[in-house]
Formats: sequence, structure tokens, C-alpha cells
Amino acid sequence: MILANGMRYDSAMQDSILDSLSTRLNQTLEKPAPSADIVIAAIDKLGQQVAAGAFDEQIAGLQIDGAEKYKDLAIRLLRRDYLEFKVRTELGSDFSTDMVTNPPPGLAQLRVLTRPLGVLLHIAAGNADGLPAFSVAEGLVTGNVNLLKLPQADNGLSLAIIEALLEIEPSLAEYIYVFDTPSSDLAAIKRMADLSDGIVVWGGETAVAAVRRFAHPGTKLIEWGHRLSFAYLSGDVSHRELADLADHITTTRQLLCSSCQVVYLDTSDMDQVRSFCDRFFPVLEASAKQQQPKTMGAVAALTLRSRTDRLEALLDGGKAKRWQSPLCALIVKEDSALELSPMLGNVLVKPLPRERLLQVLREKKQYLQTAGLCCPPEEREALTQRLIRAGVTRVTTLRNMSASLPGEAHDGEYPLRRYLRTVNVELTTQTDDRLQ
Amino acid sequence: MRFRSKLFGRSDPYDIAGTEELFVSAVRENCSYVYQHCPEYKTILDAEGFSPDRLRSAEDLAELPVLPTALFKRRRLLSMPRRRLPVVVTSSGTSGHASQIGFSFGDLWAGLKMVLRVCRKRRLLSLRPCHYVVFGYQPNRKNRTGASKTAFGVTLFTPALSRTYALRWKDGKYVLDLKAVQAAIVKHAKSRFPLRFMGFPAYAWFLMKQMDAQDLHVRLPKGSKLMLGGGWKQFYTEEVDKPVFYSLAKKVFGLDESDIIEFYGAVEHPILYCDCEQHHFHIPIYSRVLIRDAETLQPLPHGMPGLVNLISPMVRGTPLLSVMPDDLGVLHDNCPCGLNSPYLEILGRVGLQDVKTCAAGAAELLEQTEVSL
Repeated sequence: MILANGMRYDSAMQDSILDSLSTRLNQTLEKPAPSADIVIAAIDKLGQQVAAGAFDEQIAGLQIDGAEKYKDLAIRLLRRDYLEFKVRTELGSDFSTDMVTNPPPGLAQLRVLTRPLGVLLHIAAGNADGLPAFSVAEGLVTGNVNLLKLPQADNGLSLAIIEALLEIEPSLAEYIYVFDTPSSDLAAIKRMADLSDGIVVWGGETAVAAVRRFAHPGTKLIEWGHRLSFAYLSGDVSHRELADLADHITTTRQLLCSSCQVVYLDTSDMDQVRSFCDRFFPVLEASAKQQQPKTMGAVAALTLRSRTDRLEALLDGGKAKRWQSPLCALIVKEDSALELSPMLGNVLVKPLPRERLLQVLREKKQYLQTAGLCCPPEEREALTQRLIRAGVTRVTTLRNMSASLPGEAHDGEYPLRRYLRTVNVELTTQTDDRLQ
Repeated sequence: MRFRSKLFGRSDPYDIAGTEELFVSAVRENCSYVYQHCPEYKTILDAEGFSPDRLRSAEDLAELPVLPTALFKRRRLLSMPRRRLPVVVTSSGTSGHASQIGFSFGDLWAGLKMVLRVCRKRRLLSLRPCHYVVFGYQPNRKNRTGASKTAFGVTLFTPALSRTYALRWKDGKYVLDLKAVQAAIVKHAKSRFPLRFMGFPAYAWFLMKQMDAQDLHVRLPKGSKLMLGGGWKQFYTEEVDKPVFYSLAKKVFGLDESDIIEFYGAVEHPILYCDCEQHHFHIPIYSRVLIRDAETLQPLPHGMPGLVNLISPMVRGTPLLSVMPDDLGVLHDNCPCGLNSPYLEILGRVGLQDVKTCAAGAAELLEQTEVSL
């Protein structure tokens, strides 16, 4: 299904729509971009529809655990006050007002205008439901025309959200095009890329590398790649904090960029690492039992794994592995490298004395995201600064590692800024007069 | 192996009722042998308090300790020295670890008798030569997967005039070459000899879609058959409804639904399940299938979905007597085709569907994980 100018077309129409796209885009770009206010008002209304249950069926169809929580988060993110706060935080309160520089005496003044990049191609990943629509919303708030290539795994939720938005604010129709082009149809995607001023790509290294291969070197690339996160524990850790970490691990199932893959302990003593595991494992297991999956497929997988573990332990002379249950496991390693864990409740535990923190984390500088920090209060600031110098972009408590914190940047950047360009116009007599 | 030999020598492969006692005896015989020759199997049976002598009636089969197929990926379990195992097959490698299963001469002989009986019943054996298109791996000394062996084995059902492979060994790796396959089909469509396809259903589906998109429709010679096996793995998202598949086969190849035959089997349970005219996988006399509760592993009555427990006394080289793959299934009775044996419907794989992730490298890792939680 393709969406163009608010109308649905069959996927087979793709090439003919692409043929006329350049002309259509140029017509739209001739006009002033829609103001952030109009877009925000429309999104706010959309949020009210979500709250009233307009998308309950689709959300239920996602078959995700915690669908209610997901819906609540969406409602919060779509509210006018939140959106205005986001725009203010990321762009400053007067970004839409043209300004004039005020240089030292004797230097010429200059007009400074913030304008949309123009046309954004969003290559969305299927790893978060509704994410494609969210990416388009960010492009709209900044006044861009948006071409969205849906992920293969999209279940129709993104299109439904976008159509509802257009029903609320039909004037946005020419600012959104949605294509269900498969990733294998490189020729079509390249055509879309050639029509765009910026390409927003969400996904793993393969997706990002592919875009870099076909994009014109002059096209701006906005890459939201995959990241790795970890917990850093120093000094005494209370039971409450262990429970927070356990809940974070079992609720995100370690699948998110911000999910803890490695629990680092501020020590080089392996005995301390092992005694930590003795303490942490029962807490993790208790949390995992709370989060236990309910579908037959998941229960069956657990039963099979449990039986396989048991038989393997029998063959090992009856020794069950330490810190391992069918639901979760702690995997102790003596090295300190930041790496992906086996996920789904299987977390790595490693020693990492603070003196070596920067050296170790720099090895994975391309991937760093969240550090969940737990330490004595008097050391918190010093350790935070150390983590920041090592390259992490978020420092949180253990509980909030994957929480969506209002006003936060995305992987070290405010996305809205990247969807805009700063334009300078030399003051001439005419414009000068007009300004006065 | 008196009882196995008798069981695999029976002429009607679906006479379940008439072979009940013989089946139990063959299981007992196999169990005793493997118990004595595979120390790991003995350890498991001893720990679970099961003795091979306990197997007296069909009800006792449910008591046999079940080995998940995942165990064979973690451990090499054999009941004979390697020199007595002429064939060692690895599972088709969707996971990072492949299992190794050894077969003795006796196992292979029993298997051959089974294949001939089942295929004769389905009228797949013929002296009329055929062209073969294999939607699978070109045989290669480095490829020991069961799928490639089965796909090649099937080309021996009739004398083969030619064999064309979709996955060709080229410069040290396998490449998918649907163009060559398409060219072969167009050529053989004009032949007076039938064409038989064998292999992964997903490749057949892709090929048919590709040919249809190019408006390339052929009418294959009479007697041509589309034989599908090896599962839809790697292509779960592209899985299609069977009626859609059949109608595309009619459109592109001119094949009737009755010319399409599907097989089910696994390296860890090398019993040939061939579908009937209703496309149901009936249980042959060489095996029994129990569906077990996903949580408690208690046996369930027919009609209830659960984990699939496959029991067969065919193999002595490896303890495959009672195994459990990562499948969910359900047993049904009363197939209109007239066969009295129950049939197995595979509902899907265990695990969570659609794991979504943005942790670096995670998607790649999860793709390789067979049992994901």
C-alpha cells in the first residue's frame, strides 16, 4: 500500500508515483512550510483519539506484553504540552522567529533563518512498533516533506496513525508519502533518496551501511543506529537497587539500545564479582518469574530449555550451573569488554575498576549509549563525569535505564535540530528597510 | 534387531492397529541396545528411574524419557564408534550449533525400506525417467546437512535424466541461482519426460512468484510433481496459505493440487512423513507421535495443541528413540483420505514471535538462536 497526497494506492503503482514525485514535491516546496503549531495541534488531537481507544484494536494486535504501558507512553508523548516542551528544549523557544545578528561595531549584520531541510526520506526499522510514524512526526514538526519507507515487519499501525493524522489536518497530506517498498528494491529506494535532502535511517549496521552506499555524498544522513548499554555498580548496592536492575533487565528483556547488557562492578577482584552474583541471582530470578511469558510458544520454549538444561546437568555429573535457571542467567567473565549479552534475561557480569573505565569503553565508542549508575552519592558526580568522558550519552539510575525521560536527546543529539538548516541572508538596503 | 527388522518389513506403512505390539517390542529392543551402548543415555534413564524392561504396552511409550533435539546440539550422543556409522548428518544449521547424528548400516537399511514403502503408497516410485529440479543444495563434500542428502535422495525415486540445483556451489559458497532453475524449467517443459521438483517450499514460492511476475507460465508434462520438504525456515514471514500456493502452482506450472506432495521430517527423527491427498501428515507404523502439555509435558488427548514428542525405534547409532523438536503441533483423527492413522499438524516453532530489538548486533544474534525465549 502506498499513501500519496492522502490517498491510498496499490503497491504496483509505485513506479508511476515515483515518476511524478519530483514535480509534486517541487509544488509543495514552493509554499511556506506548515508551522509547528499546526502540526502540534493535529498530533495533540491524535493523542486524544489514542486515549479514547481509537487504536486499541491495532495495539492489541501487536501482541506485546505491557500494551497498556505502551499506550500510556504514546498518549504522553503526543500531548501538546509535551510536544511544545520538546520543541522548546531541542530548538529553543524562538527558533521559528527570524533574527538578525548583532556583531561587534563595524561588522555587517546578517539575517538568520531556521528552515526545514526540505524533503526527508525516513527508512524506518521494524524494531519498535509505531516508530515509523514517530519519525515522520518529527519531520513534520520541523516543516519537512516526508517520504516514509515502511519496514517489512510493519503491521499497518504506522499507516493507520498517519491516516488518522491527515483526517485531523488534511493540509498536511502533501507533506507525507508512505511507501511499502521492500528493502530489496534498491532502485526504488535510491530514487526516493535522490529526491531527498536528508535521509533518516533507523536500524542496525547493515541498514546504515546500505544507505551510505547508495546515498549521494552530498545528502545529509541522519543515522539512528543500534547501541549498547550497561550498568556500573560501585560500593554497596542495596537490595532495592538490585531489584530495580533486575526489573529493568527482565522487562526490557535486554532488547533495547538502552538495555543493560553487562553489569560492571568497580573492582578487579573476581571473588567480589562472584559474591555479587550469589546475591543478585535470586533477585533476578524472582523478577524473571514475575515477567514470565504467558503464550504457549514461550512457555513451551521455556519447558524445552529447562528440560535440556536438566539433562545436560545430569551428563555433567549432576552439577547444575551456578546462577542459571531456564528463565535467566548471570554469565561471569573475567575480561571487561563491553559486548552484547545473549539477552532475554542472560546478563554478563564483569569486573571494571574505574581507572580502566575510559580505556575499556573507548573500544566500543561507536555503540555507547546508556550507563545505569549506582554508587555512593558523594561519588556520583565524579563517576558521571568519568562516564561522559568515556563517551556515553545517557547516565541514569538503574531503575530508569530504559525510561523515556522528558527532554532527553537521542544518542547524543537533539533530532529536531538535525532536520533543520540555518540559512543566512545578507542584509540589503531593501530588506534592511523592511526590517526597520 | 529382530523386531525393528519385522516392523520395517511390513508392507502397509499405515497399519498402526495391526503393528501395535510389534512397535512396542521394537522400541524396547532399541531402548535396551542404546541403554547398554550409550553411557549418556544410560545416565539419563537411570536418573529418571526408567528401565527398558518397563516397556510392555503402548501406554508405556509415554514414560520413555524425552530428549529435546536441542540436547543433540549441545552434546554428541552416539551409541556406536564412529567407524560403524557410515553416515553422520548435521542438522540444517539454522542455529549456531549444529547437531551431529550418526546412522549405522542397519539404520540406513531400515530407512530405505521405509522410504520405498511410503513412496510406493503415494505412487512416487516409477521407472519412467524424469528431469529433476532441486530447490536445495547441490551435493558437496563440505555440506553434510540432512536437507541436502534428502533432496538428493529423492532424485533416486525414478531414473534421473538431469538435476538442476537452486543453491549452487560456487567459489567456496552456496549461491541462490533461480535464473538457472527458471531456464531449466522452460526447457524441460517441452520435454516428453516429466519434471519433478524437490526441496524447500520457500524457494518454490519465490520462483513461482518471479515467473508469474514475468508472465512466464508453462504447462509441465503429465506426471510432473512438486515435492516439498525441509520446512519454511528462514522464510517464516513469507509463509503463505496453502491454497494460494496451490493455485499459483496451477497457474505457473499447470500442476494440479494432487501433483503437489509435501514431506515432514527431521534429522533427529528421520521418519518420512508424506502427506496424503488431503495434504495431511499421517503417522506411519515406524513412529508414534505424542502431543505433550507445553508446561508440564503430560501427554494430551488428540485435538489439543502442545509440544511434539516423536518416538521411533529406527535408529540405533544415536539415542533418537524419543525426541522433542522445537515445534508445536496437534494430532487429528478421521482424515477423509481413508487412512486410519492419526495425522500431525505442525502449528509453528516454540519461542516468542517477532522479537524486536535495537541493541547493537542483537538482530543478527537472534536470527541464529534456535530456541529463543
